[in-house]
Amino acid sequence: MFRNSYDSDNTTFSPQGKLHQVEYALEAVKQGSAAIGLRSKTHAVLLTLKRSTGELATYQKKLIRIDDHVGIAIAGLTSDARVLSNSMRQQAMQSRMLYGRPIPVARIVQTIADKAQNNTQIYGRRPYGVGFLVIGEDETGPHLYEFSPSGTAFEYYAHSIGARSQSAKTYLEKNFESFETSDLPALINHGLSALADTLQQDKHLTTLNTSIAIIGPASAEIEQASSGAARRGYFRVWENDDIDGLLRSWRRSRGEPEDGPQEETAAEAEVAAAGEEAAAAAPAPVAETEQAAGGDDVEMQ
Amino acid sequence: MSSIGTGYDLSVSTYSPDGRLFQVEYANKAVEAAGVAVGIRCSDGIVLGVERLLHSKLLVKGGNRRIQSVDEHVGLATAGLLADGKHLATRLRDEAYNFRDTYNAPATVQILSDRLSGYVQAYTCYGSVRPFGVSSLVAGVDKTGPRLFCVEPSGVFYGYRACAIGKGKALAKTELEKLIAKEADGGEAITCREAIDEIARIIYLVHDDNKDKDFELEMTWVSTETGGKHRAVPGELQAEAEAKAKAALEEGMEED
Amino acid sequence: MNHHPAAWGQPLTAHQQFDMYSTNPMGMSAPRSAHSHGPVQNTQWPLVTGTSVIGIKYEGGVMLAADNLASYGSLARFRDIERLHALGTHTILGVAGDMSDFQYLKKELDGLLREEETLTLTDAHPPLSPNNLYTFLANLFYARRNKINPLWNACLVGGWDFKKDESFLGYVDLLGTTYTAPTLATGFGAHIAQPLLREAYEAKAGVDLEGRPGADGRLLTAEEAEAVIDDCMKVLYYRDARSINKYQVARVTKDGVSISESKSSETEWMYAEGLRGYGGQTQ
Repeated sequence: MFRNSYDSDNTTFSPQGKLHQVEYALEAVKQGSAAIGLRSKTHAVLLTLKRSTGELATYQKKLIRIDDHVGIAIAGLTSDARVLSNSMRQQAMQSRMLYGRPIPVARIVQTIADKAQNNTQIYGRRPYGVGFLVIGEDETGPHLYEFSPSGTAFEYYAHSIGARSQSAKTYLEKNFESFETSDLPALINHGLSALADTLQQDKHLTTLNTSIAIIGPASAEIEQASSGAARRGYFRVWENDDIDGLLRSWRRSRGEPEDGPQEETAAEAEVAAAGEEAAAAAPAPVAETEQAAGGDDVEMQ
Repeated sequence: MSSIGTGYDLSVSTYSPDGRLFQVEYANKAVEAAGVAVGIRCSDGIVLGVERLLHSKLLVKGGNRRIQSVDEHVGLATAGLLADGKHLATRLRDEAYNFRDTYNAPATVQILSDRLSGYVQAYTCYGSVRPFGVSSLVAGVDKTGPRLFCVEPSGVFYGYRACAIGKGKALAKTELEKLIAKEADGGEAITCREAIDEIARIIYLVHDDNKDKDFELEMTWVSTETGGKHRAVPGELQAEAEAKAKAALEEGMEED
Repeated sequence: MNHHPAAWGQPLTAHQQFDMYSTNPMGMSAPRSAHSHGPVQNTQWPLVTGTSVIGIKYEGGVMLAADNLASYGSLARFRDIERLHALGTHTILGVAGDMSDFQYLKKELDGLLREEETLTLTDAHPPLSPNNLYTFLANLFYARRNKINPLWNACLVGGWDFKKDESFLGYVDLLGTTYTAPTLATGFGAHIAQPLLREAYEAKAGVDLEGRPGADGRLLTAEEAEAVIDDCMKVLYYRDARSINKYQVARVTKDGVSISESKSSETEWMYAEGLRGYGGQTQ
């Protein structure tokens, strides 16, 4: 039944000193759709590819605000992400309450990494099945961290997790040296390019499946002035109609038709209508809906 | 390995017929896969160094440090599962805090190592947990002088003049033995500044450019120059040591 | 018998007179219960106490002062106690009230700062600012008072706030009451020293400066501030029966904390022959 005799629980080391259950948990992260994170000297951004279970359902959110200065993108088990993000929110509020200080980003990431480590060492538990990209800004500037089920948290200039994220990583590795000095629009364009590399053949970035989160000073060029969070440089999420402009300017920067692939438009409109209807009615419990024909697992986002 | 498939190697609460705890031995394998960590006890303090292997070039330079502070005067370098290393540092910090609370005095390095070894050992006793996949160098300067200890996954700990853990520890140890030869004969130990150069040299020597991933050198010390506090080795000092290490490495290659 | 300083000079109650040395029944203490002893009681009064702490902001920093006395009731019991304590590199804590609670506070805060310091090697995050420490103290005091087990102190926190690039000065006491101002004083000092501090501060940097000579809206210089502080400490020594003529002054600037050696004021104790303004003199 098992692949080998050392992979049935998390308290068993293999003869090579590996923890197979932890490695399988890392596979769960790869089942989720991609998330990209990048940072410059002034900004940190997250870009995610959202999935929908079908035309009746909305697209599942992948970006979660933790505090004004911290936010995450998730890939893997959504319910595990909710547990961990709740814990992060509590940590963030505790720091504000007790010290009047926005929690240092490295420390809030470490708190969930420590939780995850515990789950790799005690029999009867399972490692978390979700990975995070965490962006945040504190007294030491903007940051990007990756949290993984193995209980580690690494700081990156740019990183990607989730399905087909290796393609994005290749793009990021080729370009990351310019990120540090990039302005916000350029940073987002790099992020969208990396995100587009994770798409399956004949799929495209649309206003429905793409969402972007930003921390750092607002850019009048690309962001709506009506957002209070943007004005203050806080964590904000742009999606649906709000990222139309961003997608257009990204396509422009690549010399592609601004409206995007034509044949896609009609199909997208249908999905959009379906999506709006679903949103207008009380949102159906996601877990009860049928899985999409494409085999996307609703628990894996 | 003869242990595989016998069923005696699946839990720490099971001995093999010849009295071994294979799960603890496997935990040591996790240690041996990690970048080397070196510690030297000097005449005027202690120095710790690690070879921080980089699994991606997107990692922030100089970030993601592997040596941690436990108390003002004590540092901890771990080799093995990174998350386990963080866990042990947190635990040891609690012990240090608790000791001060109880006795109104800083804990000695020996006492901290003893507490840590007790904690690690407990994880080799029960089937409901796994051992820590980490070896730790606990180093600092206390009222008894500079001290260096190594705690292994089994929970045993010994005091050392110099010690190396992780991948390539054998080669590092032969180099360290040469270094402490004079001290072992009753002479003076080397100074922290000398140890910084030596640790850099040893880590560059142990690192295999062809086989291993890229790495960053990370060094900390507790010395008279840091006022008895555990601090990162200043950038210039480390850069100097690295330059010497690289030069020595090239010299060695020419000789070959 | 009740030896507590608060009971000194008070007539004994009937119960105390009946069994002054608790000899009846011999060798037995009454069992503790809510019924026989009433509800659980925590600290009801401070025991060994320090008197006023005063503080003032000046150009480029903040200055705190407190004398070196810890009184036992009205007895000047410990005369070399330091009531100004540095918290890290850019914060100073001055404490009045119960000295054992102050020692507990020191231990708690030093432990917190040490823990922060150990994390700094890993994440390079700067230490807690004066503001952060003040917020923490306020929470601590308020939480303890809500447990009806207060820390019996009034504190001043002074420091340098790098974010705003200006000095910080705040007050917090056993009730969890907080306020900040450019000049502050605890206890008796709030009555005696605060008016003097304010007068000096307002004269240069106040809001209504029109027609005041030398008022330029700038803060006092360090020298001017120290002169006012010295003056206040002298007046407090004259007026406050729980003070001694031995005090320290602490400064926090961008460059860090410095706490002075103990010093004394020049005082005058001759018969006040020429003193006017009290009693019934008419000329």
